[in-house]
Amino acid sequence: MELVSYLIEALTPLNLLLALVGVIAGTIIGAMPGLSATMAVAVLVPFTYVMGPASGLIVLGAIYTGAIYGGAFAAILVNTPGTPSAIATTFDGYPLAKQGKGALAISLATLASVGGGLVGGLALLFLAPPLAEVALAFGPSEYFWMAVFGLTLISALSVGNTLKGLIGACIGLLLSAVGVAVVGGDVRFTFDQVSLLGGIDLTSAIIGLYCIPVIIDLVANKAPHLKFESIRGQSSLAEAFGLILKRKFNLLRSSVIGTVVGILPGAGGSIAGLVAYTEARRSSKESETFGKGAPEGIVATESANNATVGGGFIPTLVLGIPGTPPDAIILGALLVQGIKTGPSLFTDQGSIVYTFIYGLIIATLLMLPVGLILGKYAYKSISKTPKELLVPCVAFLTVIGSYAIHSNPHDTFVMFVLGIAAWFLAKLGFSASPIVLGLVLGKIAEQGFVQTYLIGSAQGRTLEMFFGRPISIGIIICCIIALLFPILAARKQQKPETIEEPSRKSSVLIFVLALIGVGILLFNDTKNMSILGAVFPSYIAGAMIFLSIVLFIKLAIKKDGFNQNAKLLPNKRQAGVSLVILLWTIFMAKLGFGIAATIAFISIMFISTFEKQKPIRIIFNIIISILIVLLFYFVMKEILLLRLPSGLLF
Amino acid sequence: MKNKNLKTLFVPLLAAFTLSVTATSAVANDFPSKPINYIIPFNAGGESDLSARFQQSVFEKYAGVQTVIQYMPGAGGAVAWSQLNGMEGDGYTIMGINIPHSIMQPIVKDSGYTTDELTPLYYFHYTPNAIFVPANSQFKDLGQLIDYGKKNPGMVTFAGSGSNSANHIGQATFDKLTGITSTYVPFSGIGPAMTSLMGGQVAAGFAYATSGASAGDKLRMLAVSSEKRLSAFPDVPTFKELGIDLVGGAYRGVAVPKSTPEDVRQKLSDIVGEINKDPEFVKKMEDNGFVLTDISYKNMDAFIEANKAEYQGVAQLLGLIK
Repeated sequence: MELVSYLIEALTPLNLLLALVGVIAGTIIGAMPGLSATMAVAVLVPFTYVMGPASGLIVLGAIYTGAIYGGAFAAILVNTPGTPSAIATTFDGYPLAKQGKGALAISLATLASVGGGLVGGLALLFLAPPLAEVALAFGPSEYFWMAVFGLTLISALSVGNTLKGLIGACIGLLLSAVGVAVVGGDVRFTFDQVSLLGGIDLTSAIIGLYCIPVIIDLVANKAPHLKFESIRGQSSLAEAFGLILKRKFNLLRSSVIGTVVGILPGAGGSIAGLVAYTEARRSSKESETFGKGAPEGIVATESANNATVGGGFIPTLVLGIPGTPPDAIILGALLVQGIKTGPSLFTDQGSIVYTFIYGLIIATLLMLPVGLILGKYAYKSISKTPKELLVPCVAFLTVIGSYAIHSNPHDTFVMFVLGIAAWFLAKLGFSASPIVLGLVLGKIAEQGFVQTYLIGSAQGRTLEMFFGRPISIGIIICCIIALLFPILAARKQQKPETIEEPSRKSSVLIFVLALIGVGILLFNDTKNMSILGAVFPSYIAGAMIFLSIVLFIKLAIKKDGFNQNAKLLPNKRQAGVSLVILLWTIFMAKLGFGIAATIAFISIMFISTFEKQKPIRIIFNIIISILIVLLFYFVMKEILLLRLPSGLLF
Repeated sequence: MKNKNLKTLFVPLLAAFTLSVTATSAVANDFPSKPINYIIPFNAGGESDLSARFQQSVFEKYAGVQTVIQYMPGAGGAVAWSQLNGMEGDGYTIMGINIPHSIMQPIVKDSGYTTDELTPLYYFHYTPNAIFVPANSQFKDLGQLIDYGKKNPGMVTFAGSGSNSANHIGQATFDKLTGITSTYVPFSGIGPAMTSLMGGQVAAGFAYATSGASAGDKLRMLAVSSEKRLSAFPDVPTFKELGIDLVGGAYRGVAVPKSTPEDVRQKLSDIVGEINKDPEFVKKMEDNGFVLTDISYKNMDAFIEANKAEYQGVAQLLGLIK
């Protein structure tokens, strides 16, 4: 058996070591918001030139799969996805950790990631050539409907609050339209700011939308961030294993979704996680627990996003078309090594390809021990870190992370602005997730829509292009079920949930009026665009105006349910933290990255100190702060080789 | 007393400052002495990335140091190019640069930079446009496609990378030269465009010849817009051979911030030039459908001026300017 000999090749001590090191490094990088798999893989490619092709690929694949998994750590422990793939992990991971079950959440994520990674890896090993055809069966119309299906998750995410969820999605979709349009080439919604030409970077937006509110709320009062419960009796691993075994179909289905979405070029882990989450929620018997710490939600997302790793390699290796951004870099590494991708790759250069695939599977298995050890340590240290160090650490990560994506201070500024907006929106009852959903899916939906229209009208069969293709019909049916489901579920329960408006009536009404105004402004803006560039944003702006008017009327006639004691403005500490981060983003290029970080870190440390402390403790904290900043500075500059602005000092 | 203390602090500082100033002027002699940042203004996996990776694998041989490749995508390169002159001009930051992008964008809209503000050092290759059809397509040669296009206006759908890209310009020029009306369907890069083509979502693709290298026998190339046939695809005719005067595609090079000293510019241009002669590099590039060019720093101005004149006309053709 040739396949066995390749397995033995993958098991050489060097390759095993590379897989282990890759998984550890990947997991740590993935856990830091903003440091992505793409970046880690991109920086490490040159080191693989001196290795054999198979070994080089193994270490890149291991980092990739580790990073996708590592994103769950930050999602569970701090409520901020470490990578976009872990967006949906925050929905249930953080609530579970809040209940003191952080260890269980991490065990669930680990087992699910290993399971999903294995399904994707085995699909790559045994079914790559036929599965590559899936990538080809998906045309513009299928992408459009898949994005619509992803958007149906809003109805699930915002039960009892659907109107606000839909408006949030419109905001996200409009944000996704900022910049130069791929189809049509129009410059949209940049307000003559050159820095917005490239659009809003998804990762920096996600960091802002999720992390900044977390930071501001952390300093609201002195209550601890997470409860830490030492484990008694049954271990969390055994409990997690039991929970997964009880619903193994969820794991399998989500892994298959992840594999398929991974195969589709341009989709990737974030969409796989969201689609799998939607499906898991729809088919669960306890769908009402989703969003409140449902184990099934974590399992669905984490198995799906790790399954995209193996899935993404399928079109990369078979068709030479990368499924995800890290795949694109690995494809480049392959070509530099002189390896031609394509259907003949599996026969002509089987030894390299199969050794690599086995290496990827081995790396996936290694995530189990690595994840459990790192996870235990991360949970313990995050829940035990005093607030005055935890808050500046999280703030530091958001600034570094949003900067590191493209070594661009502009992304950090966008991150901050969106973050502050998200905090206010949350006060008014609009959650961040529908906005992120719109932002993630907007470009895919728009391109699919306009391309389908272009092709359809060129051939005089627009309707057929949208509604007549078999896979499209399947996805449309899924959309309808997903949309109707919450209504049916609510009828079964027979008691509509009354949700208290989180804010005073007047402030919400003023905000909704402002939204209508912005909608009209943007709608007018679309009049100067080409038809191709205008069609999508004009419809979305129109939808936002309509939905806002409906919401306004609904709230205006609603009498009770408003929280009359609600405060819309931040308290002193909250405002202080926001101000420091704002100044940080503005001055880091001028002052120098290192010095700005040190000053900001120590300032935030003082702002988030609640009790009067002895001088020795303060000195200790300052020393720790400086060490943390220096350590990161060193890692970023010397190991990850990022361009950091040196400014006046360093 | 205090003044004296200040003075003792001030003198060494001044000395250090003078030293560092003199050190920068002597930089070219020991340049380069640390890894060079190579910024790609697009996403990973495209032609710019790939050719930079090929350079990277032999870079140390000629420069003595490595390069670190980073990505700064957005607005077809404009995000990175508009920031280039704000970066440090010590030769350790270089950036990929493309034609027609860096010439067309400022013509069409405010892109945050003008073509003349950019400092290209070397254009080292170009990728000609090519027309592809799926292997099972009814079009066996370009003549059949043109005939069909003439009889069925708009029915020939071409997938390509984005609006106003080199592919889009190629398609518009092709329509004009042959008198047919085809439909251009923009995608967010060559990858998705080729996927839709292989899947039969569009009738044909107007993409770079390089895309043909990895697709194997899934695609048929009907014509390529180079002067001569490509060594990677010896059976594919050029447009010129078929009587259509279409030569063009995308040129790719290396640029630096404006503040980069002349001697460092020259040195970097020399390094890129030497890499362009490395047999291993040449083979990898040609195998993948790239065409090497040698437009070095001293010939740059004439090259840019000629292209500016050409693309002014193209912009009019596309209706992007009046």
